[in-house]
Amino acid sequence: MRCPNCGTDNIQGSDLCERCGSDLAGLDLPAAGAGFRGKLLSARVGDLELTPPLAVGPETPVADCIAKMREAHHGCVLVLEDSRLRGIFTERDVLTRVVRPRLDPATPVAKVMTPKPYTLEPGDPPVFAVHMCAVRGLRHLPVVDDGKVVGFLSVRHLLRFVLEEVIAGS
Amino acid sequence: MSRSVEEILRTVRIDDLGRQHDHRVSPDTPLGEVYRVLDEKRHGAVMVCEDDRVVGIFTQRDILNRTAGKEVDVATPIGELMTREPVTLPADRRVAEALEVMVEGGYRHVPLIDAKGREAGLISSRVILRFIADHYPETVLNLPPRLHQQLARPEGG
Repeated sequence: MRCPNCGTDNIQGSDLCERCGSDLAGLDLPAAGAGFRGKLLSARVGDLELTPPLAVGPETPVADCIAKMREAHHGCVLVLEDSRLRGIFTERDVLTRVVRPRLDPATPVAKVMTPKPYTLEPGDPPVFAVHMCAVRGLRHLPVVDDGKVVGFLSVRHLLRFVLEEVIAGS
Repeated sequence: MSRSVEEILRTVRIDDLGRQHDHRVSPDTPLGEVYRVLDEKRHGAVMVCEDDRVVGIFTQRDILNRTAGKEVDVATPIGELMTREPVTLPADRRVAEALEVMVEGGYRHVPLIDAKGREAGLISSRVILRFIADHYPETVLNLPPRLHQQLARPEGG
């Protein structure tokens, strides 16, 4: 990694030039706009393959939610009220709030859903989704456009997007 | 020279990423104990191992499909409920290869093995996404504040 000030070749990842002390932080990052780095920043979540959500109402019994998820091979249901997103109920919630505490399966999902979930907007870059999944451990992100749910993005689809870009760049 | 992220994914080995090593249970571990491990350690899956060999995997998706709402006794050994002989990857392969196996198989967790076929940790989709996220540090700083989305409980998704 060459210092832009004095030309000394520094160890990759150095923050300061060993010869002149110039700031080198950020120099080893890939160039902006290069390959899939650019795609992750410049593409839009709305252009990715979104999954139509399983929608339930707040009063839907937990047992029905689980049956729907199992049948559709989905890891979550979205809880809607007057077509507004009220919450999300995921396979992790099945473990932590239903199976482990032996919850009555007739319980309305509103009691065990996560209210006000993290969401994406169609104009967000995919890297936002990468961060939410990486940092918060989320696996399902509802995509909301002007208050209306247009689908959700799963970790599986995000990985597929990344892989396609890796292949495209090879 | 700087490298693009896809180049990095094709060069970096899986075992250079943060492999996860506390995901082991044995075939006679009761289902209830597996529930506890998955819940308290916030794991998405456990590897079922016998004599350092990976003989099965059991994931949160398996709870949804096989045990939730089905009156399965929590004393049932996980060996009876696991997916047998899961796909594994040598830990010295490249991250891009793990990504490919995950996407093609629809897996979020792949057990790793060493040159002698012994269990060598687990790679998860979350670890790969974190690795990718680490290459976009400036984006974290620019994430828009969405304070109304603070979770009341540290869960979900």
